[in-house]
Amino acid sequence: MEWFLEPFTLGFQQRALIGGALAGLMASVVGTWLVLRGMSFFGDAFVHGVVPGIAAAVVLDINPVIGAALAALLMVIAIEVVHRNTTLSEDTSIGLLFVGMLALGVMIISRLDSYAGSLTTILFGDALGITTGDLIAQAILAIIIITATTLFYRPLLALSFNKEKAQIWGLAPNRAHAALLVLIAAAVIGSFQSVGTLLVFGLLVGPPAAAALFSRTVPRMMVTSAVIALFSVWIGLTLSYHLGTAGSATMALTPIVIFFLVLAIKQLKTRTKDRVLIDA
Amino acid sequence: MPDEVIATDVVIATDVVVLRGSRIALDTSSFQIPRGKITAIIGPNGSGKSTILHAIAGLLPIDSGTISVLGGEPEKSQKSVSYVLQYAAVPAGTPLTVAEAVQMGRYSTLGAFRRPTRADREKVAAAMAHLEITDLAKRHLTELSGGQHQRVYVAQGIAQDHALLLLDEPLTGLDLNSAKTIDKIIHDEPTRGCSVVLTTHDLEEAKAADYVILTAGRVVACGTSDEVLTAVNLTNAYGLGALHDRDDTATLFPTEHHHGPTGHDGP
Repeated sequence: MEWFLEPFTLGFQQRALIGGALAGLMASVVGTWLVLRGMSFFGDAFVHGVVPGIAAAVVLDINPVIGAALAALLMVIAIEVVHRNTTLSEDTSIGLLFVGMLALGVMIISRLDSYAGSLTTILFGDALGITTGDLIAQAILAIIIITATTLFYRPLLALSFNKEKAQIWGLAPNRAHAALLVLIAAAVIGSFQSVGTLLVFGLLVGPPAAAALFSRTVPRMMVTSAVIALFSVWIGLTLSYHLGTAGSATMALTPIVIFFLVLAIKQLKTRTKDRVLIDA
Repeated sequence: MPDEVIATDVVIATDVVVLRGSRIALDTSSFQIPRGKITAIIGPNGSGKSTILHAIAGLLPIDSGTISVLGGEPEKSQKSVSYVLQYAAVPAGTPLTVAEAVQMGRYSTLGAFRRPTRADREKVAAAMAHLEITDLAKRHLTELSGGQHQRVYVAQGIAQDHALLLLDEPLTGLDLNSAKTIDKIIHDEPTRGCSVVLTTHDLEEAKAADYVILTAGRVVACGTSDEVLTAVNLTNAYGLGALHDRDDTATLFPTEHHHGPTGHDGP
């Protein structure tokens, strides 16, 4: 037991745990809708799309959250403009913006003296450098995101089911989609300082995907996803302490490993069941 | 097409044109859908059948002409229109049980926030009972066959409060049991005062309807099946050269009027 508790005796490790847990909660709840709607590529592009905003904020010495929010807004608008004004599919417009925004971010950061260090911090976060102020801001954002996700449950479920049915039911699918984009942006912006932009994606997709393997309803998927995210943060930080690996990267890797473990167990159970039926 | 527009028509469309992007999905068409009857829309693939349903449901705007649904604009009548899409249009991977999927039919009444009442739960239970899926209530959608899926979506459709039920190819590719169950629902709806519009590729199914609309990029003819499903009209719609020598539909439909499902894919 001491092996599991030892990493969290220090104050900065405790803040990393709380920060990671809040990031995990936000990302896994919003990520459930992202996975259900098949928007994982959008999520991947989105977490990279905020990089130039953060980089510009670092260069201009303003709050990185403001930079990230502006970059997120710009990215969503640009994707919509390309998608609506061309015959290209949405994934092409997402791909264009993905590469464009990431390249712009790296160009901006490359002007800094501490180029490699700044880029690493933006992409991979600094879980051990989280302050109490960061935690309070994250907690407020987490409450807003979880409340909004609960309130928008029916419009988001209807949208995941079928956009046309959602419209007939009067559940304004376009507004629900816009609300989901705002929630994704909020979760990314609220999480990047602790786990980094690149690894937020691990928490956005990993826990919901693993939860989807054994959840029969969306609320259960959301709860299971949150539990997996919290577990991943705890195990990730514990492992990183003992193995001397990067905290945010270990946290992000854990739900992916859980996904493949669950998949393997599920396959094994199915084969055993089939064998029993054949033998019978 | 009858010249006289019946006051009790639930849909009245005049010179309607619908575009999908830059393509004309339905060229200048006028038709009406009678109240409390079963209307079948039949025509080749891409002939505008689903476009008509989408326009009635207010999901596709019309680019010219006028269309009135239940006495108002389609968008404003949406809450009284229940639309059962082809089951392939709904992702089966969404983690939903059968019961929850059918309960979604109440969303048009409940909106985003209202809690379901006892009456709502009773309507859901009745819809599931009608479609004979009560025993599947706790099953996950991924565990269902194609026919069971379609029964779930029709149950969702009739759980919704509606005056007009739209069904896009409700019997295509179904097993006999599912087809019979859904066919019975379709024919029960008018007895409850509801109007039904369905699309089909099946001439027998169209012949069993009270009213038929034949499409081929536009509405070619509408009226009773005897008026519409003539050799000339079908040749015009389908371009079936082999039908040119036939002078009436008797040879096309050698059997009596058929009210049961046939359950096979159309042409």
